[in-house]
Amino acid sequence: MPRPAPERPRRSSLTPFYVILGLVLLAGIGVFLANRRGPGGGGGGNLVNKPATLAPLTNEQLQRVQGISRGRADAPITIYEFADFQCPHCAEFATLLEPVIMERLVDTGKARYVFYDFPLGFKWSWLSARAGRCANAQGKFWEFHSLIFARQQEWAFAKDPVDIWGPLAQQVGLDQGKFEACVRSDQFQKDVTESSMLGSSLGVGGTPTLFVNGRRIETPPTYAALETELRKIAPGAFEGTPAAAPAGVPAGPVAPAAPAATAPQ
Amino acid sequence: MDEPGYTDAHPQAPPLARMAIAVLAVIGLLVSGYLSLYKLGVIGGLTCQVGSCEQVQASPWAVMLGVPVSLWGAGAYLTLLVVALLGLKRRYVDERWVALVLFGVSAAGVAFSGYLTYIEAFVIEMWCQWCVTSAVIITLIFLLSIPGLNRAR
Repeated sequence: MPRPAPERPRRSSLTPFYVILGLVLLAGIGVFLANRRGPGGGGGGNLVNKPATLAPLTNEQLQRVQGISRGRADAPITIYEFADFQCPHCAEFATLLEPVIMERLVDTGKARYVFYDFPLGFKWSWLSARAGRCANAQGKFWEFHSLIFARQQEWAFAKDPVDIWGPLAQQVGLDQGKFEACVRSDQFQKDVTESSMLGSSLGVGGTPTLFVNGRRIETPPTYAALETELRKIAPGAFEGTPAAAPAGVPAGPVAPAAPAATAPQ
Repeated sequence: MDEPGYTDAHPQAPPLARMAIAVLAVIGLLVSGYLSLYKLGVIGGLTCQVGSCEQVQASPWAVMLGVPVSLWGAGAYLTLLVVALLGLKRRYVDERWVALVLFGVSAAGVAFSGYLTYIEAFVIEMWCQWCVTSAVIITLIFLLSIPGLNRAR
């Protein structure tokens, strides 16, 4: 009787394990590809363009909220502006009046100008506010601020405005790579949100909204109207300086509270 | 496969802990690879449902000796994966160095992840969900590597 062939030892194969390992790898790569955000921008879908989720700020915290300041810290006049880079009126104010304010008031030491973000509900309001802060981080806020306002129409409805802001940033001397990385991150989301909270606490509803030495004023239509207003609030600042032009703009209502003192950044 | 497998003649089964280490190492490699691709500028942003991943990645603690921390992590996970897979082969299953490498690399990973988690919690006060995920993975690998020390010759 022939002997039965010896049974081949059964292998406890690792194949199922390798299959599982491969599936884990493929699933991971699949999740990555599904959530990929390319360096050139994937349509802006993942750009942080919203406020941070923060608890309401206390009065002390509101007092510490920083704006972006220009001019002498001890200037007799402090002008606070709450603005949104995508607001058309802000762009108009920034391109027509602000250069004159800077030249005649800020650069002469009469006034300090402090910019606060107050993003409204435009498409890129929050993102553009963060972009301004990213420019400020490299010390070029005011240059970038003027350019982004002047070119507002070019990016206001863009699919990915960072692609437009990048070259503008480079134009004003910013490191474009660092700037774009900053805007594409969530940096300064908290700062912008706190600035917006400060504005709300002061009763700001639209933009641009101006406060002069704690008093809220109507947005002046001309520089002369603004100077007339400033002469009423801080006459000492204009001693020996002839008035810019006659104007009769009434004084605005008094602000509920003065915005926080800010330090130049 | 030429490699001798686990047979009835050699009934000792492949260690499940090493299989688990290999699977976790693949997940860790995916996580650290994702962070590395961001840090190296290959991808433009991080998906981050919890915390502030990009701010954490922008902090000075995200780079060690000029190399992104995530890239160090990817190297560690790759080492763990290769060694764990080798450690499943009959030829290496009881090798002492396999157990020691898995234990040593994961122990170093746990210590470094612990330090980074401390930095997230108390220094920059921001969290990165992927960093926390990696910390959990390396801790599990470390725990799974302990039984192998007894197994090794």
